[in-house]
Amino acid sequence: MPSLNPLKIGIVCPYGWDAPGGVQNHVRDLAEYLISHGHDISVLAPAVDEDALPDYVVSAGKPIAIPYNGAVARILFGPIAFSRVRQWIAQGDFDLLHLHEPAIPSLSLLACWAAEGPMVGTFHAAAKRQRAIFAIGPILEPVIEKLSVRIAVSEAARLTLTEHLETDAIVIPNGIYVERFRNGSAQPQWSGQTIGFIGRFEEPRKGLSILLQALPIVSRFNPNVRILVAGPGDSEETLKEIDPQLRSRISFLGRLTDEEKADFLSSISLYVAPNTGGESFGIILAEAMASGAPCVASDIPAFESLLGEGKYGSLFTSEDPESLAKVIIDLMRDDEKRNALALAGQEHAKMFNWDTVAEQIFSVYEMAKVGSEKVGLASENRSWSRLLNREGDNS
Amino acid sequence: MKTGLTLGILLLVFLWYLSFSATRLDRLHHRVETSWANLDGLLQRRAAVALELAHSEFADPASSLLLTATAYQARAASIRDRSFAESGLSGALALLQSDLATGTNPAERALLSELAELTAKIRVAIAIHVDAVTRTRSVRSKIVFKFFRLAGTAPLPMTYDFEDDAL
Repeated sequence: MPSLNPLKIGIVCPYGWDAPGGVQNHVRDLAEYLISHGHDISVLAPAVDEDALPDYVVSAGKPIAIPYNGAVARILFGPIAFSRVRQWIAQGDFDLLHLHEPAIPSLSLLACWAAEGPMVGTFHAAAKRQRAIFAIGPILEPVIEKLSVRIAVSEAARLTLTEHLETDAIVIPNGIYVERFRNGSAQPQWSGQTIGFIGRFEEPRKGLSILLQALPIVSRFNPNVRILVAGPGDSEETLKEIDPQLRSRISFLGRLTDEEKADFLSSISLYVAPNTGGESFGIILAEAMASGAPCVASDIPAFESLLGEGKYGSLFTSEDPESLAKVIIDLMRDDEKRNALALAGQEHAKMFNWDTVAEQIFSVYEMAKVGSEKVGLASENRSWSRLLNREGDNS
Repeated sequence: MKTGLTLGILLLVFLWYLSFSATRLDRLHHRVETSWANLDGLLQRRAAVALELAHSEFADPASSLLLTATAYQARAASIRDRSFAESGLSGALALLQSDLATGTNPAERALLSELAELTAKIRVAIAIHVDAVTRTRSVRSKIVFKFFRLAGTAPLPMTYDFEDDAL
């Protein structure tokens, strides 16, 4: 990556910085990667606790929690947020803006509306065709159109974009730090005949129930099997639905730190992602592959393409516990096959390393800013703020 | 009086919409220009690399001739014939690359890796340009834009048909 001409880049994150989430992690890693390569980065994001922010993040105010796409989204909009966005753009003197999820009613959309100049948008979400988005499409279109280049994090996200907004995008996958995961060390308490699961297991779309329904079948063939569940949530509620005889086969570990996660993934003998949908990329599968864990995943479009149609991990019929049980038993029995799968996955995961991914993103930046003008407020917004300022002077 | 006021407001809203649409189209035209400038720059660089390859030691006389001819053709082509001429150059480069994947010296390998990098960038640049062009064309075909001639005298942007598999 050429750091000879450092750029001043503004990145907008639509979701609350304090809440865990794929988009936030992606923005944080990208910003830190670019900073370590000599670029000047400012991130605008909603935040609850302004004191706890790293110095490259600017808060735009407190987010509002709204249920969206099977989860709770912490977003921010409104006149005060809009004026902060305008102020950030006007004072930032940016060479380029990188807006994440600009089709979500949050900061990125506001920034896209307010700014003019080189802009790159990244679309993360994958969703089925939705009436609501279809209805507001004509309003979104002229705004999204201002983006010089659109990036989708997966084929599934790109498909969502073409269906909803009739515009194409370049696919650049999400990034992970491959080194961190490859260097995880196996821990005895997580090793053995263990199946790993990471995620907010209370959300139905994460599919933990599918894995738990497959457990009785698996334990008949492999009595030593254990399921390790990592992630935040209320484990007692989940355990209530399980056959008491099998409860000892399941352990809940709570939330893991990044280091613990790498160790966890290096220890388990199988990683299972039984998600039933709403998934666009599947970063956790990329991380599991990088750690050298053999992967099993449901055959939803995002996972199918991430695992190369089964080349880098085994697929089972989504929402079918019997199909999952069959795949697990098959792999648990065959060490050779499992090791081969793990090796293929580890090799494949290299393409998600931040070095590779950020290089691709940066080359998109360069293409977006041919002509080398800077980012400024859009003409309609300039006259608008002039009008507001004049009113302010009079009073 | 009341209907007059309503009509007045409607007219104002409509005028605002027209000016908004004109800005929107202006932006799209600008996007097409930048994406074309970007693509054009990358294609020029590729032609330069092709010429350098043609003059290097490892190209036999026949492929050297072919490369030189197609590279000059690509550089001289008018915008209308551009994609056709560039596809010719892609073909010539692909022929050469498949022959010379192995056993070259460091300088030539550097050229080849520069070429591979350029090819990846060109692919992305084409996608960006094609998207900008289709967007602009679809907006310009809308009735409001046609009727009020919001496009002014700007020429309709040209699509770029690149044979993807030749790259």
